[in-house]
This record gives sequence, structure tokens and C-alpha cells, in this order.
Amino acid sequence: MGYMVMRFSTKEYFVRETYKSVRRNGFMSFASVSTVAVALLVLGMFLLLFLNTNNMAKHLESQVQISVYMQDAANDADLNNTKAAITKMPGVVKVTYIDKKAALKRFEERLGDQKQLLNALGKDNPFPNSFDVQVDKPERIKEVAPQISKLPKIETAKFGQEILENLFQLTRILRFGGVVLVFFLAMATLFIISNTIRLTVFARRKEVTIMKYVGATDWFIRWPFLLEGMSLGFIGAVLASIILALIYNSMVDRIHGTLQFLPILGASPLLWWVSLGLLVAGTAIGALGSFISLRKFLRV
Amino acid sequence: MLVMENVSKVYPGGSVALQDVNVHIEPGEFVFLVGPSGAGKSTFIKLLFREVLPTEGSIYVDGIDLLNLKHEEIPFLRRKLGIIFQDYRLLPDRTVYENVAFAMEVIETPRRKIKRTVLNVLDLVGLRSRSNSYPNELSGGEQQRIAIARAIVNNPRLVIADEPTGNLDPETSWEIMQIFKEINETGTTIIMATHDKDIVDAMGKRVIAIEHGNIVRDEANGVYGYEI
Repeated sequence: MGYMVMRFSTKEYFVRETYKSVRRNGFMSFASVSTVAVALLVLGMFLLLFLNTNNMAKHLESQVQISVYMQDAANDADLNNTKAAITKMPGVVKVTYIDKKAALKRFEERLGDQKQLLNALGKDNPFPNSFDVQVDKPERIKEVAPQISKLPKIETAKFGQEILENLFQLTRILRFGGVVLVFFLAMATLFIISNTIRLTVFARRKEVTIMKYVGATDWFIRWPFLLEGMSLGFIGAVLASIILALIYNSMVDRIHGTLQFLPILGASPLLWWVSLGLLVAGTAIGALGSFISLRKFLRV
Repeated sequence: MLVMENVSKVYPGGSVALQDVNVHIEPGEFVFLVGPSGAGKSTFIKLLFREVLPTEGSIYVDGIDLLNLKHEEIPFLRRKLGIIFQDYRLLPDRTVYENVAFAMEVIETPRRKIKRTVLNVLDLVGLRSRSNSYPNELSGGEQQRIAIARAIVNNPRLVIADEPTGNLDPETSWEIMQIFKEINETGTTIIMATHDKDIVDAMGKRVIAIEHGNIVRDEANGVYGYEI
């Protein structure tokens, strides 16, 4: 390595120093990339779990609706008036009219192979005329349902109150727990990277001291270490993303094979976003970790 | 070049390193700093490149007020200085050329200028032919010459040397002193802490003696003045 290779600009200098340092601290670099990968993988898994439960909760919430059963005495004019009144209520998104025949038919379809059970009813149709009412927010149901009950010619306005409240409770816990967990995992990752960089800085503290003596600025000294931390974080995030994608894809396949009704989020746009998030997080955490561990060494 | 007025330094814990020190050094001077170990020479040296701050008093180096120097301005003070230590402080994993070029890289000198200047400085210390050697392939005297080359490669106004011949035999020490003399003759100010009686006596330069944190003697054409 003669002086012929010494032609560089400052940027090249930074990149070269980073590369040299990663190679020189081969084992430490490997160890920290693996740790970062594991931490980000766990982070990613929880993120996916969190997003999926969130999605599931939303899906269930959106299915909650008010069923409004009319009295048999209600004539066409009553039905029209009722529909108009419900539609005007704040928060009501959609009102679907289901007449007696349609209700019976829907029930028939739901029974499928056991359709013959209906024969027991003879020619009677026990279903009343009804409306399915959808609201914009699930929280709104409790306001809207009592209002509907007060309208004339209404038999009942029903919704799964208890189920709804349990569901709210569950999503709240999941959301809060997810945020707390993701926060702690991010902190752990930060700690690991800053420790690794501290070791590499410690190994090069002589160099850092000499740099200070010959008049290098703090930022000039910092950059190679920041790049090193960012590279370690980035590489770890790439590994984590690949492993995460493999796991998630096989899980989605398996769930689609057996538990079709689960509203699991599709792999395609989701994994890209989660991977992007992990890459940004890994790189940022790497930079922050380096920055933290350098503070002490720059006070010369 | 250097003005110290009523400078005192008390380290946390109460040990007094310097007490009410007053020094004026003009540009181009060659000054020896002598005195027993632990008398305050090292603190004096460290004050010059703002590694430590004085507890009291004021220090000006080439017009820069060190007491009001912000942390981010320290590098620009040090770019005016060349600092040389007893233990050379070379980077073992870099060649001679790279060790010297390093001092120019970190202050972001254009690359074309680096090569030309480094080779010139290596000529000056007589080690151009060892450009591609590593420090551990060199003798102590040669390593110190590399350290000197690194210190002067950015053309400093003031060279500060802390016992530069402390680890060298007398003959090598003389070779090193010849280089310092040449540097001084180009107009660069030199402040050198040393225990080398023969060198101080033979050079006939200004001598400042420090004992117990006080300046006890400051004379032009001085002598070492201590028995070994």
C-alpha cells in the first residue's frame, strides 16, 4: 500500500475509514449486525402482529351494525318514513332495507344443506321487515340505537353491545401494549449499537486523540463512526427484513390454507412498508448509537 | 506568540500544578522548559494547546484568547500548532507516508497538495526513502522524526515538544535537535520541555525553569542548571 493509493477526497476518506474499521473489527461487526438483526426481527414481528390485530379489530368493529326490526303493522309509508328518519341521524352511513322475503331467503342461504329445516315453518314467514344500519364509527352505535328505538312502529333496534365493549377493551390493550413493546425493543437496539460503536471507538481512541491534536473537528472525527453505526444498523435491518418476509409469507400461506376467515393482511404492500420502516429505524438507531458513544471521547 | 499572565492551575482534588505564572514569548524564539519531574512542565505544555484550562489568569497563543475559546474552535487553534510527544504517538497500522498525510487529511487539504507537501517534509527529516515502512520497522529516532514531520507538515506557527528526546540515545538526540534547529531557523517558534542537560547547555537558547509550579528562572542563553 504505497502513497500512490493516497489520492482521495474527504468523502472517500470517510468511506475508506468506515470500511477499514468494519473489516478490522470483523467479529464485533458481525456480532452487532446479528444482534441488530435479531432485535429488529423481533421488532418487525411485533409490528406485524400489532398491525394485524389492529386490522382484525377494525374489521370486527366495522361489522357491528344495528338491526332494526319493524312491527308487522308498519305499512309502506311507515317504512319509508323510518328509513328517512334513520338516514338523517348523525353518523349513519348506510341504511339497507331487507323485506320479509329477502330475510327468509338470506336465512335459507345461511342454512345451506340444512334448508329442509324450514319446512317445519310451513308457509309462514316468521321474519319481520327490517333495516341494517351502518354507522361511521363503532362508538356511535350506542348513541344511534336508542334514538332509533324511539321511532314509531319499531319492534326493536338491536346490536351486540357486550361484544362491542369487549372488543374496544381488547383493541385498546393491544394498541397500548404494542406501542410500549416497540418502544422498549427500539431502546434495546439503540443500547446494543451504541455499545458496539463504543468498543470500536475505544479500539481507535489513540487515533481519535491524535486527530484531536492535529486539529480535526468533532464532525470530521464523528463521520466515519456514524457511517459505521449506520452501516451496521442498515445491514442488520436488511437481514431482519429478509427473514421477516420469509416467515410472514409462509404464515400467510398457511393461514389462507386453513383459517380462511381470518382477515390477515396481505404480504405485498405491508412487508414493503415494514421493511422500509426497519431500514430507516436500523440506520437511524445506528447513527444515534454512534453519536451517543462518541460524546465522551470527543471531550479531549 | 505566547502571553501568559498570572496563570494558575489547580487540579480537582487540590493539587497545585502552576502558580501565578507570567511568560512572554516572541515569534521565532526557541525556548527550553526545564525543571524536576512533577514541577508543572506538563501542565504548562497542556495549557498551550488547550487540553486543560487554567484556574486563573489569561493565555494568548498567536493572538487567540484560550480562555474564551469555544469547544468547536479548539481544532482551529491546534492547526496553528505542531505537537510532539516523548512517545511519538504514531499510528502503528499506517505507513510513514500515511502517518504524516493523516495530519493533512483531517484538516481537509486538497489531495494534490498533500502528496507534494508530505514528500517535502519527509525530505526535510531525511526519511523519504522509508515512506512505505510501518512505524514498528523504524528505530526510535526515526519514529520521532516522523512525528516531527507530522507536526510541521501543516506549517505551524508554534511547535510544542514535550521531552522529544526523552527515549533516545545522545547521538540520535542530537540529530533530532538539528531538525528542530532547522525548523526554528525558518521562523517557527519552538517551546520544548526537556531533561537533557547537554542539549540545553550546548544550544544556548532561552531557558525557563519551573519548580513547584513557579517560574524560578527565565534567562536568554541559559543553561540547564540542575545536576543529573
